[in-house]
Amino acid sequence: MTETEAALLARAKAGDVDAFEELSGAYADRLYLLLLRLLGDPDEAGEVAQEVMVRAWRGISRFQGRSSYFTWLYRIAVNEANRALARREREPASVPLGPRELDRPTSPADDPARQAESSELRQALARALAMLAPPLRTAIVLRDVEGLSTQEAAEIAGVGQAAFKSRLHQARLQVRAAIGDDALTGVNG
Amino acid sequence: MGNAQDHQWSQRHLSHYVEGDLGRRARRRLDRHALGCADCGRGLRAMRVLVFTVQRLDRADVRAPATIFDRVRLAGAGDPAADA
Repeated sequence: MTETEAALLARAKAGDVDAFEELSGAYADRLYLLLLRLLGDPDEAGEVAQEVMVRAWRGISRFQGRSSYFTWLYRIAVNEANRALARREREPASVPLGPRELDRPTSPADDPARQAESSELRQALARALAMLAPPLRTAIVLRDVEGLSTQEAAEIAGVGQAAFKSRLHQARLQVRAAIGDDALTGVNG
Repeated sequence: MGNAQDHQWSQRHLSHYVEGDLGRRARRRLDRHALGCADCGRGLRAMRVLVFTVQRLDRADVRAPATIFDRVRLAGAGDPAADA
């Protein structure tokens, strides 16, 4: 934790809303995108993001600093996303990652990069991620999309590292099966 | 029989391989099998592309709504725990 973050945290714990907003605001965009990826619906993600901030505000006096503030906030976000998903009726999630959000330039230097340039593939991946069961989607989003370490991602998901890895591998296998090796390796198209 | 077992095992461990979760012997086992098995060789390439592409799903241009702190603001200043 940086000195600035520690000072903001101390002020927020003392009831300073401005400090809380500055502290948490640094992660707001990333947190909202995480919720968007997990929930697939911008409006719902926005509502849940507000709930996450309220819960963080109410719980900040109990934050002990055993994990980073970011990890703690993300953990609340994943829990709230799971609660929102549990409230939903069982239905296929809408695609959480639209083409614009996937439109990121990649290096043409190697074979995977060339495949990654395919917007069709990106859209297929987004659809496949949306169809995963929430615990599997959470695992692949935290580890692969967010790029968190296994330790941090497992902590946020609220499971041990071995269980987290198991979910991650299962998620990747299901996504691979949903898309197919031909589409992934560029065969027949 | 051994080959069929290797095949099933390899298919189940493609993500482990890409993640670097296999020990040296296990990695060699998958390498050996994939060299002679077109299906697993292609599966390994597919898994690499999958992970590579998912890792590059963009995060730009998405901003949190300006309302994200509205409810916290409504809760007001003071001892945050007292609001719980």
